[in-house]
Amino acid sequence: MAIAALSFYVFAFITLFAAVNVIFARNPVHSVLFLILSFFSSAGLFVLMGAEFLAMVLVIVYVGAVAVLFLFVVMMLDVEVVASRKGVARYASVGGLVGGLLLVELVLIVGGRVGGLPNQTAAPVLPIPEMAERTNTQALGDVLYTDYILLFQTAGMILLVAMVGAIVLTLRKRSGVKRQNIQKQTLRTIDEAVELKKVEPGSGL
Amino acid sequence: MVDIVKFLINPFGTMIGGILMLLVPILIGVAYYTYAERRVIAAAQLRKGPNVVGPFGLLQPFADAVKLLFKETIVPAGSSRFVFIIAPMLTFVLAMVAWAVIPVGEGGWFADGPWVIADINVGVLYLFAISSMGVYGIIMAGWASNSKYPFIGALRSAAQMVSYEVSMGLIIVSVIVCVGSFNLSDVVRAQKDLWYVIPHFPLFIVFFVSILAETNRAPFDLPEGESEIVAGFFLEYSSMSFALFFLGEYANMLLMCAITTVLFLGGWYAPFDVAWLTWIPGVIWFALKVCLLAFVFLWVRATVPRYRYDQLMRLGWKIFLPFTLFWVIATAGVLVAFGWLPNA
Amino acid sequence: MTHLDLIAFAPELLMAAAILVFILFGAFTGDKAARPVAIAAVVAMLIAAFLVANQGTDDGNFFNNLVAINDFTGAAKILILLVSAASLFLALPHIARDINKRFEFPLLYLFATLGMMILVSAQDLMTLYLGLELMSLSLYVLAALRRELVRASEAGLKYFVLGALSSGMILYGSSIIYGYSGATNFDLIAGALTASDGNNIGLLVGLVFVIAGLAFKVSAVPFHMWTPDVYQGAPAAVTAFFAGAPKLAAMMVFVRVLVGPFGDLTAQWQQVIALISMASMILGAFAALNQRNIKRLMAYSSIANMGYALIGLAAGTPEGVQGLMAYMTIYAVMTLGTFAVIMLMRREDRPLENIEDLAGLINQKPRMAAAMIIMMFSLSGIPPLAGFFGKLMVFMAAINEGSSLMIALAVVGALTSVVAAFYYLRIIKLMVFDPQPDELDHKDAREWSITAGVAAALLIVLTLGFQHLHAWFVGASAVLFTG
Repeated sequence: MAIAALSFYVFAFITLFAAVNVIFARNPVHSVLFLILSFFSSAGLFVLMGAEFLAMVLVIVYVGAVAVLFLFVVMMLDVEVVASRKGVARYASVGGLVGGLLLVELVLIVGGRVGGLPNQTAAPVLPIPEMAERTNTQALGDVLYTDYILLFQTAGMILLVAMVGAIVLTLRKRSGVKRQNIQKQTLRTIDEAVELKKVEPGSGL
Repeated sequence: MVDIVKFLINPFGTMIGGILMLLVPILIGVAYYTYAERRVIAAAQLRKGPNVVGPFGLLQPFADAVKLLFKETIVPAGSSRFVFIIAPMLTFVLAMVAWAVIPVGEGGWFADGPWVIADINVGVLYLFAISSMGVYGIIMAGWASNSKYPFIGALRSAAQMVSYEVSMGLIIVSVIVCVGSFNLSDVVRAQKDLWYVIPHFPLFIVFFVSILAETNRAPFDLPEGESEIVAGFFLEYSSMSFALFFLGEYANMLLMCAITTVLFLGGWYAPFDVAWLTWIPGVIWFALKVCLLAFVFLWVRATVPRYRYDQLMRLGWKIFLPFTLFWVIATAGVLVAFGWLPNA
Repeated sequence: MTHLDLIAFAPELLMAAAILVFILFGAFTGDKAARPVAIAAVVAMLIAAFLVANQGTDDGNFFNNLVAINDFTGAAKILILLVSAASLFLALPHIARDINKRFEFPLLYLFATLGMMILVSAQDLMTLYLGLELMSLSLYVLAALRRELVRASEAGLKYFVLGALSSGMILYGSSIIYGYSGATNFDLIAGALTASDGNNIGLLVGLVFVIAGLAFKVSAVPFHMWTPDVYQGAPAAVTAFFAGAPKLAAMMVFVRVLVGPFGDLTAQWQQVIALISMASMILGAFAALNQRNIKRLMAYSSIANMGYALIGLAAGTPEGVQGLMAYMTIYAVMTLGTFAVIMLMRREDRPLENIEDLAGLINQKPRMAAAMIIMMFSLSGIPPLAGFFGKLMVFMAAINEGSSLMIALAVVGALTSVVAAFYYLRIIKLMVFDPQPDELDHKDAREWSITAGVAAALLIVLTLGFQHLHAWFVGASAVLFTG
């Protein structure tokens, strides 16, 4: 499977390259574009693992919808690139500290893992079905709407809150705005709209 | 002849041979679609249209292409150079790669299975993913031009495409519920006896209107809106970069027609299972159906006035979205109630 | 999913159904819907509380072990529902005055309460996270609801950013826990912990992140910085809600996570909780001394009170958990009552927030002043009132646990109580002895007077009937320590 291996390295390299550039790109719009590239190549990695459904959903949801809104915001904001760089020196030490701390923890954990620390005697809760028997779309559907229905519905409620919240926080009724009322327009009859007047010659209305 | 074809499709040649056999007709089709558009609209407006270059003006697309090739590519001052150049390429490439999963025929003289480059499990999602990425070409072009009108055009276009994708997604769900597979060949095979345009007729209409909006075509061509924002997002483009946009747009229209054909019009199947109709190869039927839909695209452009932007948004969010949502639930309900669910 | 799952989850389903019905009703009725929806929401919460109290199924795990229903979750849900209902009742007059008659306002209360119910029932890290997000998202929106005010926007934004950070920490911790135990289910995590045989550094690291995230939600030091600004920026009615139900829910889930799956690690997390608790008590007591704004003062007071409640958790004994539950219950009553009085402080129909505005309240509104005096005495822990018993229980639990750390914690708690008593008593002094600057509005909303009166009465009733409350919590906490 030389091609699979080659594809893996290509996608992995692009993902990492794009991820690094998200942080280091001078222009915020370029950052978002790199973010999109990194999403896209991650989707490629998913495909290589056989998780085709996740790959496509990643592209549809993140690339096709979420990142578009990101890009919108960033393009509209017109962020001052230089200004946003000003604080770098000031926050670098704190950021470095937190990052370093996380790194140390991760190393400890991964190191511990290599040393055989974690004890996973239990059988997997959800065995992955054979790919030939059940496509992974079906495999996801098998559990999502049965075993995990509660989580699925709760997630739906969270999205509903987000929707209600977005409307509450942004919708306002402005006075002086003319709104089109299509129903009123189409239901208007000739009697209301036109008034016929008999005009005598030589006199106005 | 058959041997050569078989050679092209053997495991080594599959990729290149298959891709060439698909893309060359598509590119020619795109070229002649631009010609067809001018002729059809001319006919609708009682003019003649291009009729000088070659017999009936048939060589006009090539003349245009040559002209565009020899023009100077202008990159506006203050633009984001790299993004500016990559944007039309992205649009064009996306319009082409989506064809990889469209099955244009089945069986017959050179393939056992469906005639498709990649017969993948999640074909429908792949198409949806690619078409949802199409918006980037436009946003990037609008932003990189560093110019007022292209930016407005890009914003309009992005909002419009994202809005209509929602109801398109729901429509696709309704169809997929009836098929039980994301594989596009399966979608076609499920329509062997009954094209989905019959049970899902309202959905077919909504889908067709949505793809008009998705491809930024009249009556939803606000992103280009020449009476308000000159030419919208490709205002600053010229020469080959303009040509790529142009080709990408038209390839996208054909692609959308092909998707509609697959989802609703029974793909490669003949309209009736009658002997002399089934003698005609599936790929011909497929092409005919695509041509019919493509003609409707032009017909609509020639006859329907442009929507206002708030009307466009209202149509998408307040009419199509609730309707398609209702239809998904109704479809699923009927399937469950009558025990017609596939793979149950 | 079986019908048993649905019966077990009937209260939550009722809440969800109420939300959906009210959304549709509100969307088609418009501004007129705000008050009817709010009243209906209060009723829905009360019915849900009734359903929880009369649970139709046996205890156990439901929905494929994603949630647990037992005496503890039942008690927690009843408390949460009652406190939420009371907060929304308290907010009824606000809807017409300060909230611009948005019918979404009561809906967000319902959403948040539903989130809390799922949160305390969680038997799985995924359920926990989703419940937490449902609750927090609703609260962010509530904080920013009056977006025409700069301070409210700031409060909402601050709350959102820091809340997102804390959610991130919980997720990060959960993923580490998952990586080490191979499970997100509480029972399986407990099993993995037992099997790990002392090699559990990874689980511990994950647990610390989860603790940090939950500490954000209960606003314990060092994760408290959002509290004063959010309390000040949000409308008083919303602040009253923030101070009561979400803290209660976060505390309960704190108990469920630490005592449940991580019961074996008590010795380790005890130190972390003790540290957080001590820091909260000290900072809460001293930072409140200088506050002139009564909502900020209540924010620091709540930080200190979370510290006291955490003493009970740090003890890690059944007695400690009972103390925590009693403390949180009494604290919720006191907070609601206090905020009811704060909301009465209006001049020319505009809310006042400085403590000086309370001066001479006893002359103008003697009954409200009396209620406030009871509340302040109880908050500072003066013996005959319920607040005293709450403190007493957690301190006793700490001392009975016996380790020097816990005894030190109890001592610090007692000392900071004395410091905190200073600013509570100062408010009483202002109300009783200081001259009145200007008259407050005469017309008070009935809902505020009722809430203040009921809260004050409850503090006395709870004192008399404390053994009943105690017996309830003994029964409820027993399930946590049986496994």
